Amino acid sequence: MRIRTIALLLTVFGMLVVFNSAYAQNAPEASEKGKEVYENSCAHCHGVEGRGDGSAAENLLPKPRDFTRGLYKIRSTEAGQLPTDQDLFDIITEGMPGSSMPGWETALTANDRWEVVAYIKTFYDGFKENENPPKQITLEGKIPYSEQSVEIGKELYVELGCVECHGNVGRGDGTSAPTLTDSWGFQTWPANLTQGWNYRGGFDTEDIFKRFIGGIAGSPMPAFEGDSFLNFGLTAEESKRLIELENKDEMTEAEEEESGQFYEKMDTAVDIALSIKEGAEMSTTQMQTYNDAMKVVYEKSWHLANYVKSLMPEERPEPAIGNNVLRSQYVQGELPAFDDAAWETFEARYFPLVGQVVIEPRQFNPTIDGVHVKSFYNDTEVVFLFVWDDRTHTTGDETDETTQKPLEDALAVQFPVKVPQGPTAPKPYFLWGGRLPVYLWHWKASTPDQVTELTAKGINNAETQEAQGELQVQSAYTDGQYKLWVKRTLKTDDKKDLQLEPGVFVPIAFSVWDGSNADVDTKLTMTSWYTFTLEPVPSSRRFVYPPIIAILSVGLLFGLRAFVQRRNTEDV
Amino acid sequence: MKTYLLASLTLLLACCYVGIVGITFAADSDAGEMEMLIFPESYKPTSGSNGGTISGVVKFEGDKPEMKMLEITKDVEVCGATEKYDEALVVGENNALKNTIVYLIDITEGKDFDKAAKLEMDQKGCKFTPHVQIVPLDTRLTMLNSDRVNHNVHIFSTINTPVNKQQTKNRRRMPLAGVKKAEGPVSVKCDIHGWMSAWIAYVPHPYFAVTNEKGEFTLEDVPAGTYKLGYWHEACGTNNESPVEVTVEAGGTVTQDFTLKLK
Repeated sequence: MRIRTIALLLTVFGMLVVFNSAYAQNAPEASEKGKEVYENSCAHCHGVEGRGDGSAAENLLPKPRDFTRGLYKIRSTEAGQLPTDQDLFDIITEGMPGSSMPGWETALTANDRWEVVAYIKTFYDGFKENENPPKQITLEGKIPYSEQSVEIGKELYVELGCVECHGNVGRGDGTSAPTLTDSWGFQTWPANLTQGWNYRGGFDTEDIFKRFIGGIAGSPMPAFEGDSFLNFGLTAEESKRLIELENKDEMTEAEEEESGQFYEKMDTAVDIALSIKEGAEMSTTQMQTYNDAMKVVYEKSWHLANYVKSLMPEERPEPAIGNNVLRSQYVQGELPAFDDAAWETFEARYFPLVGQVVIEPRQFNPTIDGVHVKSFYNDTEVVFLFVWDDRTHTTGDETDETTQKPLEDALAVQFPVKVPQGPTAPKPYFLWGGRLPVYLWHWKASTPDQVTELTAKGINNAETQEAQGELQVQSAYTDGQYKLWVKRTLKTDDKKDLQLEPGVFVPIAFSVWDGSNADVDTKLTMTSWYTFTLEPVPSSRRFVYPPIIAILSVGLLFGLRAFVQRRNTEDV
Repeated sequence: MKTYLLASLTLLLACCYVGIVGITFAADSDAGEMEMLIFPESYKPTSGSNGGTISGVVKFEGDKPEMKMLEITKDVEVCGATEKYDEALVVGENNALKNTIVYLIDITEGKDFDKAAKLEMDQKGCKFTPHVQIVPLDTRLTMLNSDRVNHNVHIFSTINTPVNKQQTKNRRRMPLAGVKKAEGPVSVKCDIHGWMSAWIAYVPHPYFAVTNEKGEFTLEDVPAGTYKLGYWHEACGTNNESPVEVTVEAGGTVTQDFTLKLK
C-alpha cells in the first residue's frame, strides 16, 4: 500500500518536473493575461510602468525594483548579464526575505507567474536585444564545507575587502555601511551575513557563491568575476608568495625578479580575460591560461562561500513562545557578571522584532531583526543579558529633522506593573500599556551605564518614575552587536515597580530603536507580549520529607508487626 | 504562532495605511534624467591633416562659489591626509570653469584616436583623478590604485554593461574592458568611500576636450567645415537644446568661449 502511494507521488512529482521544465527557460510571449496579473498583484509597489514607483513604494526600503533598467539583484548569471526566466520565476515564487517582496507561490498559479515573467521583461528592451541566452555561473567543482575550507575563506574575506561593508564578523557593520546607496540613490544596507534568513536570494552555499561571482546588480556589491580577483592568473601558492613578497619592507634583487614574473603572469591572464569579454577570438593556449586562472578564482570563491555559510545558524532561531519561554536560571550566591563565562553555558531565547505601524510616526522598514535574552536569578536579585545586532553605533550626535530629538540606539524592556492573575486575566495593551499600566526599563546608547525606570499608560503616555530604583547596568557595542546587562532586586519598595517571585509567569515585551534608521519616539521596532519566569528551584525539602516519610512508614510497619505478634502471643 | 500573527497583523496594517495615505511617490532622482552628450550615428576615421583648430575658455557666470568640503568618514589616515572638495563645480581664477567637456556634436569624418595615449584614472588619497575622463570606444581604461586601501570601481553605465569591481589595496593597476557603444558621461563611484565621484564618457570620435584649471579647451585637426559645438558640465548641464555653430577653415583657428551658469 505504502509503496503504491510513494510510486503515485513520484509519478505526480515527475509530471510536475516535466511540466515545469517545459517552461524552464522560456516565458511565454507577453500577453494580456500577464499585464492583468501584473497590474493586479505587482503594480501597487512596482508601478504600472514597472518603474518601481507604485503607490506603496514610498514607505518601502529596500525600494521595489525598477524593471526599466534591467538591473536584477538575484541571478544565476554572470556579472553584467540579465537574469534567466527561471531566476525571475523563482523570485516571484519565493519572494525576497528581509524585504517587502512576498512569495507568490500560493497567491498566483504557476501559469500566472510565468505570464508575469514575460510581462516584466517588456519593461526593459535589453531582453529583446539579447538573442543569446544569458551566461550562467557554473556550479561545477563545488568545494564541500569543511573547517579547513572555512579557514581559507576567512582569510579571503579580509583580503578581498568584504570587511569594508559587511564588517569584521559579518554583521553588516563595516565602516562603509552607513554611506551606501543603490543605483537609484536610495540608502541601502549591506547584508548582516550572520542572519541567513534575511538573504534576499537564499542562503545555501550555492546561493552565496552566485551572489559573490555575479554581484548584486543595482547595489554596491561588486562582482568578483575573475580578472578583478586578487592576483588573478596566479595559483593559490603563487598568490600567497606574492602577498608575502609585497608585505616585505624591502625586496632583494632575486625577490624583485620573482615578483616581476608574477606580475607578468597576472597581466597576461588579465589581458586574455578582457579580450574574451571584448569578444576577441582566443587560441587554445590562451583559453587554457584563462581556464586555469578561473579555476583558482572559483575554488577561492567556494571557500569564501563556505566561510560566509559558517557565520549563520542553520535556521532562524525559534521565537520564545510555547515551551520556549524565557526562563531565568536559579543560581546560589553571586549572579554572573557582564563578562562571566556562565552566560555561554546555555542558549538564549529569541524575540523577533517588527516595525511599529499602529501609531504615527511609524516604522515600515525595521533594521533590527530581534533580541536574544538570557537571565539568572538568586534569592534576592535577577540579572538579564540582552543582545541585539545593530549595524551602527549611534549615540545621539545627530538629530531627527521632524522632532528635533537626538537619534540614538536604545532598548526598552516592558513588564506589566501587576502580573495578571491566571491565563485569562487581561494584560496591559502591548504598545506600552493603556488602561492597565506597564513598567519599563529604558536604556539609551548615549548613557550606556544607565537604565531609566518608566511607568506608561500608552506609547505617548510614559513617565519617568520619580523614585528611580538601584539598577545595575553595563553595556558594550562590538562588531555590530549590543550587549546590555541589567541587574535588579526581585522586590522593591516602589509600588510602581514590578515585583518578582519564582514560578510566576510574567509578560515581557521589547522595544528597540536604531538611531541610524531614524528611529525616534514611536518610530521603533518591537515585540508583542512574551512570557518570562523565574524558573522555580525544585525545593530542597525533597531531600528531607521523603526519607522521613519512608522512615516513619517503615517504623509504623515494624510497630504494627510487633503489635500483631504481641497480640498473637497473648492469644496463645 | 503569536509572532506570526503579530507580523501578519502588522503587515496588514501597513498595507491599509499605505493604501489610505496613497501619497504619490517622489524619488530622490526627481531632478530628471542626466543630460547626455550627443554622438553622431557613425564616424569614419580618415585623415585629420590640413585641419583647423577650435579653442576657447569656459567661464562660470556669477560669484565664484565656495568649494564644498567633503566629509571623510573612513580610512582617514590615507583619505584625509589632504582636504577633499566636491569637484562637481571647480571654479578657478577669473571664473575659469574646470571639467567641462567641449566637443563636436555632428562630425562624421576626421582624424583617428591617438592610439599611443595612456588612458588612466587614478585613485589617490581616495579621490579619482581626473574627475572627467574621455574614453574612446574599444579602448581599455586602466584604473590605478595609489592608495594602500581597498577601492571598488563602480561605473553606472546604462547603455553599456555596468561595471562594479573591487580593486583591492595591493592591486596597483586594473584595466577595464573596452566598450562597444558610445555613452555618457556616466557616473563613477567608489561605494567603499561614498564621497569619491568621477565621470567617464565613452566616445566614438576624438573631438572631445575637457577644460583645465584655466577653463581652456582645444580641439585640433578639425576638418574644414561647419560644426555644432556642444558642452557638458556636471553642475551646469549642456547646450543640447541650442548648440553653437562654428566654422573651421583649413589651417585656421576659431575661438569660441562659453559662459555657463548653474542649471
